[in-house]
Amino acid sequence: MLETTNLKKTFKKDIAVNDVNLYLDKGESVGLLGPNGAGKSTTISMISSLIKPTAGDVTWQGKSIVKDPSVIRLQLGVVPQEIALYKELTANENLKFFGRIYGLKGNLLNERIAHVLDIVGLTERKDELVKNYSGGMQRRINIAVALLHEPEIIIMDEPTVGIDPQSRNYILEMVQKLNRENGMTVLYTSHYMEEVERLCDRIYIMDHGKVIASGTKQELTGILSNEETIVLELDRQYPQLLLQLANIENVLRIIETEKGVKLIAPKKSRLLGKVFQMAEQHHAQIVSVNVQVPTLEDVFLHLTGRKLRD
Amino acid sequence: MKSILLLQLQRLRREPGLVIWMFVMTIGFVLLLGGFGMGKTTVPVYFGETLSGSEQENLINRLNESDTYAFEITDEDTAIKKVALGEIPHAIKAMKSDYQIVIAADNPDQLLLDQYVKQIYAHELRLQAVEASADSSNVRAEIERNLDESPITLTNITAEEANRTSGYDQKNHYLFGMTLFFSIYTIIFSLGKVAEEKRTGTWNRVILSPVRKWQVYIGHLCYAFMIGFVQILAVFLCFKYVFDFYIGDDFGAIILTTACYTFAIVALGMLMLGLVKSMEQLNALVPIVSVSMAMIGGAYWPIEAVTNSVILAISKLLPITYAMDALKEVVMYNQGIVAIAESLSILLVIGVLCMGVGINLMERKA
Ligand SMILES: Nc1ncnc2c1ncn2[C@@H]1O[C@H](COP(=O)(O)OP(=O)(O)OP(=O)(O)O)[C@@H](O)[C@H]1O
Ligand SMILES: [Mg+2]
Repeated sequence: MLETTNLKKTFKKDIAVNDVNLYLDKGESVGLLGPNGAGKSTTISMISSLIKPTAGDVTWQGKSIVKDPSVIRLQLGVVPQEIALYKELTANENLKFFGRIYGLKGNLLNERIAHVLDIVGLTERKDELVKNYSGGMQRRINIAVALLHEPEIIIMDEPTVGIDPQSRNYILEMVQKLNRENGMTVLYTSHYMEEVERLCDRIYIMDHGKVIASGTKQELTGILSNEETIVLELDRQYPQLLLQLANIENVLRIIETEKGVKLIAPKKSRLLGKVFQMAEQHHAQIVSVNVQVPTLEDVFLHLTGRKLRD
Repeated sequence: MKSILLLQLQRLRREPGLVIWMFVMTIGFVLLLGGFGMGKTTVPVYFGETLSGSEQENLINRLNESDTYAFEITDEDTAIKKVALGEIPHAIKAMKSDYQIVIAADNPDQLLLDQYVKQIYAHELRLQAVEASADSSNVRAEIERNLDESPITLTNITAEEANRTSGYDQKNHYLFGMTLFFSIYTIIFSLGKVAEEKRTGTWNRVILSPVRKWQVYIGHLCYAFMIGFVQILAVFLCFKYVFDFYIGDDFGAIILTTACYTFAIVALGMLMLGLVKSMEQLNALVPIVSVSMAMIGGAYWPIEAVTNSVILAISKLLPITYAMDALKEVVMYNQGIVAIAESLSILLVIGVLCMGVGINLMERKA
């Protein structure tokens, strides 16, 4: 239904997006995962026809939206990364305005507004000024505006950044419902692994403007199906110990965590003995040890050597 | 387009602070500069040759018909000392048929004072000439009476037209200057909503809707135009009816001038928006542009007081110069639309040019 081919965007000399190919089928929920500056927002801007690609194309039902943006605009809802609302107006007034510019009016407009307010759960507080809302409520109205004209596809750019867990949970459930019950196609951008894991059928992982891996969650974790992750929690950091651990023959990747270290190694490589021995040498106090099946986060670490969030 | 305009008005209703503040500032400054509540500027006068007591009194009375100056008889030494010490900017040395202005350094007010005193003297000399050629000692009183009454007042106006500066009125100058000056802020900050919307992301939302981009621009331009236009006219009406200023009878010409000027400033605002990268830069640029424009374009003091040819040349590029000119023509010299057609056309041309370049710059950034 929606497809990008060799999508590329350069700003002066910086390559923000480099040869991105992705597609969405009708009713699918697709995640776009990547750290800060990976090029997610830029990709989304090109898909939604806000900026023109330097090269490549985006097609909607076979038609190029680079040539004619109008082919997608009415079918598309975009939730921007920032809170794009008039904060000195009430939620209701914001919805009225955005509804009107989509050509809605009269009873239909009022019905739609009531409907989206219900979806985001803010019916009772619709007449409060947006600037007096909590961050989570502002995010919810930010989403509501994108739903007003009942788009077939909704693109959400980090709709949950900087809000409390409760609002976040609410939003995630809401997106899930829109996708599963209303059959809405969703492109969900985030740098929270667990959100994408929970919501999305398929995932694209981006870094430095490129898609570095894609597939279902199983396929992606399958990249590390022959590996396991050892999570070692220590009482504090031991830089020397880290260096020594990295030199163990079988260790594929070693990542410093907040309090300790994460090792990715082939399954059954029986590293624990060595690890304990080295910890003993450095008089490091081991708080806990965990051997896990690799998560998406580990896949990302494995592919880039970096954590998703700083 | 209508939705965009209505939305901006709705936003204004919620946060009207800036526009109201600019309105209040305009009125405040005009009153302050126009000398309301501050009394008149005192100008010491001493007599350079022997004038009889009644002649002295007569002269002082005439001079003191001014709204702006209070003339006060002193002796030469005191007057010169005060001027030399910089306590007062100028004094007058009055003689029978001539006068001198005593100054320590050039200042813009001296020209206005000179104009005023010259006018009084010219008037007086004419009377004296008539008096001398006629025998009757009543002639003077009669002419005076006739001058004050209608049939001769008409000829008086003709005389003023020939000698154009005689209609100059400083209070009106401040009214026009300050109104046009403060409206620049209101207009450009109203237009600045475009930059603000681009930053908050609402701009992209609107662009993604079926509304055409040019409609969005027109909506914002109309909004800024409306705010500026209404503010300027509201100030004029306020001074006409509340403070009893004389602003001419040709209100149509004033409205037309206001419209052309507002359009030019809206366009200038677009150009500035095209040049800046952020709201902060715009906020920094607006005072620089508006203050220098007002200074060079003659909103603070009359352009006639400027002799520097470079400044005069620059002033020819500024919309405020033409708007000041047109308003003064209409109000002070009773000219009609024909006389200001050239100024107004130039305002429109400036507007079209700035608008074209501005929108192009803005779209190139996107
Ligand atoms: N208008 C622009 N001009 C210049 N560079 C830009 C512009 N927009 C984005 N970039 C650059 O492109 C790169 C990708 O930015 P983008 O916003 O797409 O990343 P992102 O994945 O959305 O990151 P985040 O998680 O922080 O939102 C960054 O290096 C950014 O500095
Ligand atoms: Mg982003």
